[in-house]
Amino acid sequence: MITTDRAEKRERDVLRAFVDLSTELVDDYDVLEMLSKLTTNCASLLDVAAVGLLLADDRGVLHVAAASSERTQQLELYQLQRDEGPCLDCFAAGKAVNVPDLAAEAERWPKFSRAALAAGFKSVHAVPMLLRGRAIGAMNLFGESVGQLDDSDLELAQALAHVACVAIVNEKSAADHATVNTQLQHALTSRIVLEQAKGVIAHAGGLEIDDAFAVLRRYARDHGRKLSSVATDVVNRKLRADALLQHTSPSTP
Amino acid sequence: MTVSLEVMKEQLNAAVVGAAPGAAANDLCLASVELFGVDGAAMSLVYDGHSRGTFGSSNETSRRLDEYQFTFGEGPCLDAVATHEAVMVPDLDSPHERRWPGFAGAVLDEGVRGVFALPIMVTSVCVGALDLFRNTPGPLEKDQFAGAALAARLGSLSLLDLIADSTAGLADHDDPARTASGEDAWGLLADMDRIEVYQATGMLISQLDVGPAEALVRLRAHAIATNQTARQVALAILRRTLELERDELPHDGTGKGHR
Repeated sequence: MITTDRAEKRERDVLRAFVDLSTELVDDYDVLEMLSKLTTNCASLLDVAAVGLLLADDRGVLHVAAASSERTQQLELYQLQRDEGPCLDCFAAGKAVNVPDLAAEAERWPKFSRAALAAGFKSVHAVPMLLRGRAIGAMNLFGESVGQLDDSDLELAQALAHVACVAIVNEKSAADHATVNTQLQHALTSRIVLEQAKGVIAHAGGLEIDDAFAVLRRYARDHGRKLSSVATDVVNRKLRADALLQHTSPSTP
Repeated sequence: MTVSLEVMKEQLNAAVVGAAPGAAANDLCLASVELFGVDGAAMSLVYDGHSRGTFGSSNETSRRLDEYQFTFGEGPCLDAVATHEAVMVPDLDSPHERRWPGFAGAVLDEGVRGVFALPIMVTSVCVGALDLFRNTPGPLEKDQFAGAALAARLGSLSLLDLIADSTAGLADHDDPARTASGEDAWGLLADMDRIEVYQATGMLISQLDVGPAEALVRLRAHAIATNQTARQVALAILRRTLELERDELPHDGTGKGHR
């Protein structure tokens, strides 16, 4: 029952999401932040509970690159799909995988389904990230209720996934296999640094990992810096964890 | 003639797993020569605070070629490490190629035309490179490049061991070869390539005040000493049930690090 008002609002939101992303793309942008924004936008536009973006390394192994929520439990859900799950199947086939009722297909991916259901998710959709016919990863959409996303939602998800591809691999070099690999690897390394930086802050501040992320992001935003460059400085001990912790008086979880 | 990636993965794994202590890097270079249509291969460690240089090669000539980069302080390997990107030089003798005059002159004199350097990463740190030399000009084919990237990944295990051995105060020369422990090298890499391991590595960076590569070395050393996977150790660190001591030897096997 989409009313005209709602349809118009949605149209505005979709438009704003693309304007946002394209504005950032022409600037000097941070891949991590861009992908994180993309997953967050995707989650709100498509009315799904969680969105994760996985990229393949040069061995075809999937890694978490960005997610609409940095909660550890959700990251683990994406990470699990290195071994099995809709994202892996979607990546392997280069085609969307739709699972409107996860419980009904639990035997298809036993470990993944168990974890997803335990996290409160009931449906999952995966759209491929394609670059000149080659799958470089997949985007995962989790819903808290049973049901299939309609075609226009899936098209929108696919369009956002295309934007993500362009953001990761700059267009000019998309034909060059070696360069694409390098750029994928760059995005994946940024992600590793972010996870390490979470660990540094968690240890130094006696925080949970999930709260450490908030400290990093807040510091980066308030100082007008890229998240990945703050994370790099933290990991290389150029920026002391204390400086970040003092900036953000630790929120008590 | 082309070998599939799966076969390459198997053969590279066999080169590393069957290797005698310290020989894994050489064997990986030998396998690279066989698999990627090149004439020589070498592996270098370029990492702050550790002895830099060539530590694995397919033969003496390749070792010498590789060492020119350290003699002249320039070359594709050093550039690959600095940029974290593969450096592909299909023809070193091309008039457009002026990046490394000293290095190029020396290796051209030895008959080398193509040089390809692939960065070797340990967690988020680039610690060295795999260098491939070819006596004829021409690009590396797509599959050969993909295979070389796999070899560079396995090379990270050798470099990890080397960093462990040369970490000040932690050297233990009687230590059994870790890479050659008979385990599947891809499995070892996959075990360390996990979110929880990266997060735990971060906790160790803060706790031990070391860099990311050393932090991973310590995590892995504890895993080996206590016969656990890296993932198990990482989860214990994240749960705060395990804290490694600042001066704990990495593989004393006493489990002193337990709180």
